[in-house]
Amino acid sequence: MIEELFFLLVFPGMTFQVVCGLGFEWLDRKLLAMFQRRVGPPWYQPLADMIKLFSKEDLLPKGANEMVAAFLPLLSLSAVLTAGLYIPIAGFSPVSFEGDLIVILFLMSVPTLAYYVAGIVSVGIYSILGGGRSLLQFFSYEVPLLIALSGPAILARSWSVSGVMSAQAGLGPFILFQPLGFVLAMVGLIGKLKRDPLDIPKAKSEVVGGSLTEFTGAKLAFWHLVMNVQAIVGIFLLVNLFLAWPQMLHPLLTAGIFLAQCLIMILILSTTSSVFARLRIDQLAGLGWRILVPLALLQVAVVILMGV
Amino acid sequence: MQNRISIPIGPQHPLLKEPLSMMIDISGEKVLGGSMRLGYVHRGIERLAEQRNYIQNVLLIERVCGICSHVHTTTYCYAVEALLGIEIPPRAQYIRALMCELERIHSHLLWLGILAKHVGLETIFMHAWHDRESSLDIMEAISGGRVSHAANQIGGVSFNLDKAQAEMIRSTISNLRTQVEGLLNVIETEPALHARTQGVAPVSAEMIRQYCVVGPIARASGVDIDLRRDDPLPPYDQLEFKVITHADGDAWARTLVRAQETRESLNLCDTIMRDMPDGEVLVRAPRKVPPGEAIIRSEAPRGEVFYYLRSDGSENPARVKIRTPTLSALSMIPAQLAAIQVADIPVVLAGIDLCVACADR
Amino acid sequence: MERLKKRFSLLSAIIDALIEPPETVGYPFTKLELPETYRGAIVIDPEKCTGCGLCVRDCPAQGLELVKKSRHEFKLIHYPARCAYCGQCSISCRRKAISHSNQLVGSTSNPEALVVVLKEKEDEEQG
Repeated sequence: MIEELFFLLVFPGMTFQVVCGLGFEWLDRKLLAMFQRRVGPPWYQPLADMIKLFSKEDLLPKGANEMVAAFLPLLSLSAVLTAGLYIPIAGFSPVSFEGDLIVILFLMSVPTLAYYVAGIVSVGIYSILGGGRSLLQFFSYEVPLLIALSGPAILARSWSVSGVMSAQAGLGPFILFQPLGFVLAMVGLIGKLKRDPLDIPKAKSEVVGGSLTEFTGAKLAFWHLVMNVQAIVGIFLLVNLFLAWPQMLHPLLTAGIFLAQCLIMILILSTTSSVFARLRIDQLAGLGWRILVPLALLQVAVVILMGV
Repeated sequence: MQNRISIPIGPQHPLLKEPLSMMIDISGEKVLGGSMRLGYVHRGIERLAEQRNYIQNVLLIERVCGICSHVHTTTYCYAVEALLGIEIPPRAQYIRALMCELERIHSHLLWLGILAKHVGLETIFMHAWHDRESSLDIMEAISGGRVSHAANQIGGVSFNLDKAQAEMIRSTISNLRTQVEGLLNVIETEPALHARTQGVAPVSAEMIRQYCVVGPIARASGVDIDLRRDDPLPPYDQLEFKVITHADGDAWARTLVRAQETRESLNLCDTIMRDMPDGEVLVRAPRKVPPGEAIIRSEAPRGEVFYYLRSDGSENPARVKIRTPTLSALSMIPAQLAAIQVADIPVVLAGIDLCVACADR
Repeated sequence: MERLKKRFSLLSAIIDALIEPPETVGYPFTKLELPETYRGAIVIDPEKCTGCGLCVRDCPAQGLELVKKSRHEFKLIHYPARCAYCGQCSISCRRKAISHSNQLVGSTSNPEALVVVLKEKEDEEQG
């Protein structure tokens, strides 16, 4: 009982994910600042921002559904935290079962849908525009992402993340067999996180803050936390699916390699967000359905042929 | 076309740092049209100028615009000097031109940064503004003010350049040139910027003439006007430079025109520093201005600035009329807002390089 | 190769930026370097000031005030909150009594507290 609570609340559950999420935000902002020749925030800045947001007045425009608006960020946060619970951290996975990859993917798409609903219930013009855009974007990136993530599962003949990892221990990291799938999964992840260059639903100069325009105070803080935890969960998932390293003798060495891989992923995410310009929504839809989906299908076909 | 909604842009909006209010009608992701309201920063400067003397007005008119402050005072001072019938020393003319060109560099870099920011390239924004800071540093070091330089006086400029300062300007400009060259290479070859700006809301040369639009926007549509060449104030009649034009008239053409004008201005700065004559920078001007009228035009970073000055022989001007380039460009916005997407609104609005403070005065 | 370099020009620019030190400073903790010629706080040389009032007449912001009791008895008051730090007073002054230092003027919530009497001259027979 105590052990399960520890898994749930401390490691690899809530506390660990939240700390990693805040750490991700800091690293991302610091890297971006360095790319832009700025000093950047100190390490405690994300936490300070959270605390500041919690102390702010919490209000919504007239006509908004307060209950739903308060419930949505909490629902998203619990969804991504639950998803994070099933992802092995440096090979350590206390609650793994066959088929958990599908559960993770389902839970990971909850925040996007909640984001859409948040735009609708908070009645602002920009919120509705941003909500609609987030749904459009969801249809563009989600399909190639799902196809790309099913590649490793097909190759490993297992729909559990631990199963994919143990298959990689024998065959080697799957990025060697499906680099295309890895790139597609990265694009999908960027789309999921609504980061530059796929930050169409919250593009500041077009729709102000997107769905979250009208959110303030603690609700906004929770939304930020959702995005950060979602980012870190996505990074963990991609590292496990594509870059799993065979288990070392020493657990610290395994953890070190895992950490290094995550840092490289964050570096890639920050670099892409500062190098590419935002796409228009029609450009994104074209990219998603004309380029990414055929490529993803091609990758899966190659994987299936490899398995035969 | 049933679900037509209007989105407000401004006067407080992340897109426009300028106090301008627009209502844009959209349907889904399509823009149907728009209207706008002006006058949020009307300060009554023309009227205020009639209540102050000519010397105080130099500093008042510097506050017309926060970006192109120097070119406004330069034009005003040339107008007062025309009324007085005095000619300022050549060195003062060159220093005024130097400040004008530095201001053009800083204004164009600012604009390039803002455009990049609106299409999601925050990195280019930061790098452009970093480079722009060098040009501001020069102006701060020689005149004492970063934005409000207070460099002009009636009868000349308020400072002279010594050897060390001239050397500092030369070396800073050559550093700036390497930085700007790198930045402009990035901007001119960046495919993402190209994809977002090419073909967005092109403006034909006829439309430019119809709306009397001036400056880089007109030059980007193939209208070959530049007051530095067409009606030069001294010392531009002695300086060699190219007038950049482009045929397309879309946001990408405006980007290219401004990028190349920045290069051209850097060359001009070098020429000015090389050709600058020695001598005095100030002649004494009487406080009372004889009755008469004067019209002086000059080329600001955004286009033609027009000053009309009437004097009735007292210490205060009887009328100061200022026309700034932004007003005509603003009138063209509703026409440009047809048949574009919501994602193109920032590109269209930023592409014009609005300065609402100039337009409202 | 040249084309490739052009294609990734922004990438190479940010890699350069990663190596170079940041250009911004953490302002309240790092001192700003202002150029020698910066127009900052106003200083006056009381020996030179005669109370002629030229600076007051040309000040565009009514930042200076001259309270004159007699020819030799006057007060020159400076209101920093109104001052635009334009430098016109130092240009207008015939005796070069008024000038700018390159020190920043601090901000305050009470502008009245910043008002300084630059020059107070009592008549010698009275004082």
